[in-house]
Amino acid sequence: MPEFSVIVGPQHPALKEPESFTFWVDGEDVVRAQVRIGYAHRGIEKAAESRTYIQNIPLIERICGICNVAHTICYTQNVEYLYGREIPRRAEYIRTIIEELNRIHSHLLWVGIAGHEIGFDTLLMYVWRDREVVMDLIEEMTGNRVSTALMTVGGVTRDITPELATRIRKGLDILEERTEYYEKIAAGESTILARTKGIGILTRDEAMKHCAVGPTLRASGIKSDIRADDPYAAHDEVPFDVITSDTCDLFGRVVVRVYETIESIKQVRYCLDHLPSGPIRIRLPNTPPRGESLSRVEAPRGEDIHYVRSDGSDRPARYKVRAPTLGNLAGLVEMLTSKGDYKVHVADIPIILAGIDPCMCCMDRTARFIEPSRSRDWVWTWDQLKKYGRESER
Amino acid sequence: MAMQRELLRHIFKKAATLRYPFKDKEKVHIPSDFRGKIAFYRDRCIGCSMCFRVCPAEVIEMIEDEKGKRPMFYLDRCTHCAQCEGVCPTKSIELTSQYESAGTDRAQMILK
Amino acid sequence: MSLEAEQKLALGLKELLGDRVSDIKVQRARSIFVTVKAEDYKESIRKVIEKYGITHISTITGADSGPTIDVMPHLSHAGTKITFKAAVPKTAAEIDTLTDILPGAVMYEREVHDLLGVKFKGHPNLARLVISDDWPSDVHPLRKEYKVIRPEPIRKM
Repeated sequence: MPEFSVIVGPQHPALKEPESFTFWVDGEDVVRAQVRIGYAHRGIEKAAESRTYIQNIPLIERICGICNVAHTICYTQNVEYLYGREIPRRAEYIRTIIEELNRIHSHLLWVGIAGHEIGFDTLLMYVWRDREVVMDLIEEMTGNRVSTALMTVGGVTRDITPELATRIRKGLDILEERTEYYEKIAAGESTILARTKGIGILTRDEAMKHCAVGPTLRASGIKSDIRADDPYAAHDEVPFDVITSDTCDLFGRVVVRVYETIESIKQVRYCLDHLPSGPIRIRLPNTPPRGESLSRVEAPRGEDIHYVRSDGSDRPARYKVRAPTLGNLAGLVEMLTSKGDYKVHVADIPIILAGIDPCMCCMDRTARFIEPSRSRDWVWTWDQLKKYGRESER
Repeated sequence: MAMQRELLRHIFKKAATLRYPFKDKEKVHIPSDFRGKIAFYRDRCIGCSMCFRVCPAEVIEMIEDEKGKRPMFYLDRCTHCAQCEGVCPTKSIELTSQYESAGTDRAQMILK
Repeated sequence: MSLEAEQKLALGLKELLGDRVSDIKVQRARSIFVTVKAEDYKESIRKVIEKYGITHISTITGADSGPTIDVMPHLSHAGTKITFKAAVPKTAAEIDTLTDILPGAVMYEREVHDLLGVKFKGHPNLARLVISDDWPSDVHPLRKEYKVIRPEPIRKM
């Protein structure tokens, strides 16, 4: 029987960023999924070997636009561990403040994207309007709305004045009121409940087996957070709760992220109230001693781990980054596989993919569908898949 | 629907979006320490080349003029990381709040 | 900073693994590096994850150390990072897979294979992960021999 398939992309002027999925379907149910990544591979690890440690800071910052704070904290921490020196306490508190502001920004962005993927554009518009508050705070603190450039090896580059602290507190009050409103929406809005409960299930055992990270792991009931287990910056002193959810589905992930935003707001307030005095950076020589070091942070998407090896020169001999989304990929394939009573529908694919908060340079992709029983093999673009998801009846 | 109350509240409010750049340009609030376009003060520079050594994007090229060594900036490559401003011992480099820095000719975007 | 808990764990690992371990180092708080030979790699890791109930592998780093390539899986046990290090010769870069004892390693072994050319014996699907399909299969970009060619501008300004 002749088969006909047209592939649009993964590189195509109409797509945001490339990535490729292949789905085997049986009617409306997805039987199996396969992932091919690497379309946005930039060779950052190789590039880091030919630049000095200071020149690498903006390079590492550009691994991810939204999680840039997590990556730069992980990098500068890693290099500071090589020197074996402690940075001033005030710098660690400032790092924690900007990290938690970044987490609030990322989670609010995700709530908007999740709304967009299920067709709830009203929620997208309102959440992103409130996200402007946190972006303005980050701009006051660092000089740019998203790309912060606040870290350096040995501390931070800018200080927080008391006037800035007052402005941040005012912004946090607005954000807290809005986030509590979104908490009510997430729990009460029937559209969201219908599209997220029972969808994208990753059981507790599956999550542990596939080594999931971040909110995806915590929504399967596992209490694991790098800020609590392996504290860094000021997290050993700043109190917070690790948010988990027992539902193991997409609704759990929404709940975990909204509550984490509220926890982050509380943490920033605590840091501002208890900001220690002192210098904000120490001067370190250009070349760290020989050795190797490992550092982990809890990025908004999960555990981010960096490895560095120094051969005594001013350039790293090896720099390795494992961003959190790669850790969730195996779990994602598991979530997209129908088994037993758990059926995955084609219409739910966009929201399940958005559920792990993918940050492989903001995935947008084509999906290829194979239906062996009817000998169909076709490709949909992301917009076609989203349209199908919104308009199909369940 | 939980969102009904919010939607009704916004019926009589103005839109949150500013119509930049056609109108509302003055309403765009830029903080004073925004990391925008580079400004260079030749009289303060001592030619130490520290800015050249920390720039990640090869924006800076050290040239000679009548007073000695000094940087020249290829502004089209700049990522506005502000590491040159941070390392300069005499504060000769400043990142201004100028955020409109697009151009059509790379040769016009060199700061001498 | 007291490193008592880490010293205790390091001692426990040394006792468990005996002379399979050639070096064990507490690098800093909550970070231990264990060096083993390539032949004892899988067995050592199996013993450790069985004794301590470890399920989480963070990633596997491959590093070019001249004539050898270091394969370094990073495991996580109650907040402490335990890194195993095994060196394989570049000319015969092969080591056992961990995917049957740690299923989460499946993507990370693919990445090390793709970028450094280390073959993981027994891996279910050692396909390419990050490099495009039309890249030559004997060129491994993260090895030191591979020199990056800087792009030159076509026109001088």
